[in-house]
Amino acid sequence: MNNIIIGQYIPGKGFFYKLDPRTKIVSVIFLMISVFMLETTYQLLIALGVALLLLVIGQISVLKVAKGLKPIFVLLIFTFVFQIALNQEGVIVSQAVMNFNLYSVLAIVGAFIIWRLLARLGKFKILLFIAFIFGAYFILRYINYANNFYSFNFVIYQKGIEMSLFVVIRLLIIITFTTVLTLTTRPTDLTQGIESLMRPLKKIGFNSEVFALIISISLRYIPTIFDEAQKIMAAQASRGADFREGKLKDKLKQIISLLIPMFIIAFIRSEELADAMESRNFVPGEKRTRINVLNFSVIDLYIGVFTLLCFAGTIVLKVIT
Amino acid sequence: MGIYFNEVTHEYPSYTKKTYKAIQNISLKIEKENEFIALIGHTGSGKSTLAKHMNALIFPTSGSLDIFGNHITQKRDKKIKYNSIRKNVGLVFQFPEYQLFEETVEKDIMFGPLNFKVPLEEAKKKAKEALSLVGLDESYLKRNPFNLSGGEKKRVSIAGILAIDPDVLVLDEPTSGLDPAGRDTLMELFLDIHNKTKKSIIIITHDMDLVYKYFNRALVLKDGELSFDGTPDDLFRSDVLEHNHLDYPNTIKTLKYLKEELKLDIDIYKKNIDEVIKEISRVTSNE
Repeated sequence: MNNIIIGQYIPGKGFFYKLDPRTKIVSVIFLMISVFMLETTYQLLIALGVALLLLVIGQISVLKVAKGLKPIFVLLIFTFVFQIALNQEGVIVSQAVMNFNLYSVLAIVGAFIIWRLLARLGKFKILLFIAFIFGAYFILRYINYANNFYSFNFVIYQKGIEMSLFVVIRLLIIITFTTVLTLTTRPTDLTQGIESLMRPLKKIGFNSEVFALIISISLRYIPTIFDEAQKIMAAQASRGADFREGKLKDKLKQIISLLIPMFIIAFIRSEELADAMESRNFVPGEKRTRINVLNFSVIDLYIGVFTLLCFAGTIVLKVIT
Repeated sequence: MGIYFNEVTHEYPSYTKKTYKAIQNISLKIEKENEFIALIGHTGSGKSTLAKHMNALIFPTSGSLDIFGNHITQKRDKKIKYNSIRKNVGLVFQFPEYQLFEETVEKDIMFGPLNFKVPLEEAKKKAKEALSLVGLDESYLKRNPFNLSGGEKKRVSIAGILAIDPDVLVLDEPTSGLDPAGRDTLMELFLDIHNKTKKSIIIITHDMDLVYKYFNRALVLKDGELSFDGTPDDLFRSDVLEHNHLDYPNTIKTLKYLKEELKLDIDIYKKNIDEVIKEISRVTSNE
């Protein structure tokens, strides 16, 4: 639970920290649109290269961003597997009959046990997982005896591989961009940026200040709520409800013992926050001065031009192809 | 049997610095019986972290613990039933909001015993007993825990642990947020449990008056290190307190003032008000 980075600002020095939040938000939006307009895997790979280059320029360690990717890793694997298994377009790349028989199932169970034992050592977990998947594939493919319980034809199409890579890389790039934005921008700056960008909408009756405030408070409270959840879990574990032990039936009750205090604490926190804001004379919608006034600088210009070039480039690509 | 710390260090991860050491190299023996321990230290000295180790809620990042024969190290051991350690050592947290969740006080107190497979009828009985122990009458059983006052919530949360009937009791600032009378009743209650059952009780507190009056052992933490382990008598006679931003008990402060300002020949180490009055009247009647 400590690895969730989304919405958590890490203080640091570097190129992106000096940028105006408005530039960053607009650039991320435009870069994301550009990424969605790209049509081939090669173009996406180039975009991935550009994203990594931006990380290097901004002196942001790839490890930190990768840590933020951890929660969605499962999602990435699922999209990958589903695309490969279900997409049936294009040229057939490989075609193999998968056999389920006594020996192959036993071998898979064996491979599973070896995988879990090795994973216990704690290193190269992802590599081990991939090795297991390939192992299972080869076992099903080559262990073949007369009495199979079940066999099916597992066909991988070229389009399937392409699309799975395509979707995964696209997700990777987008998450890298957004993580860079939230890593290098203080939540307060982010709010101010959003607010400033949406100010024109006030003419049609949309109150950007309140909206920005809601967003910033929500972002700010993600880590707090996680901290609180851990405290509640500890308190309930002290009363014999350890979430890592016990049967499924007991766990249901334990989840209730976590959720109810969570809601109550969330309400207490929000009331306290409202009181604290009111006692400092906060009135929604009232005109306020700022401690930090947003200013564009030369580097904002560079990034703006860079974004525009990327955007224009993708449009040109789209038109040509 | 008891809780034995062996060179325990706990580091919290931190984004800005590499890690933050909450406690460092703590070696400590707490026996199962006959201990009434005060855990003292200023804010951020690692008291709560130390307490959370005592029922294996968190594991040491280096060093090891032995809790009632269970060897606790950095890694989670599949053979150890961590849940059963919580039956041995009961930990009451500082804020009751983190544990109350049921519709009635009775159900909430029964949550612990039922988790440890106590039959329903017996759990009900235990809830009733625990509630009367903390000084609330039976009318509270059917009340909603969220409609209680802060002090009452605190008592209910303590009752929730007492009902489990652990072998060792650890309490994180049980007297904070209570009025002086409630504070003394609660301390008398803990002392009473201790005297009757001989169970060891560890209490985190900032109140030096309580430390001097009730406890037979004091542990002082400073910046995560154990800087004193001994009786409160020795503690207040030594100069440990001054190095730790801690205060003396009011009895000692008062008598010390009298001794220094009025040059009275007075024994300043008196534990409660009665003894102080007796000492003052002894000295004044001599004059």
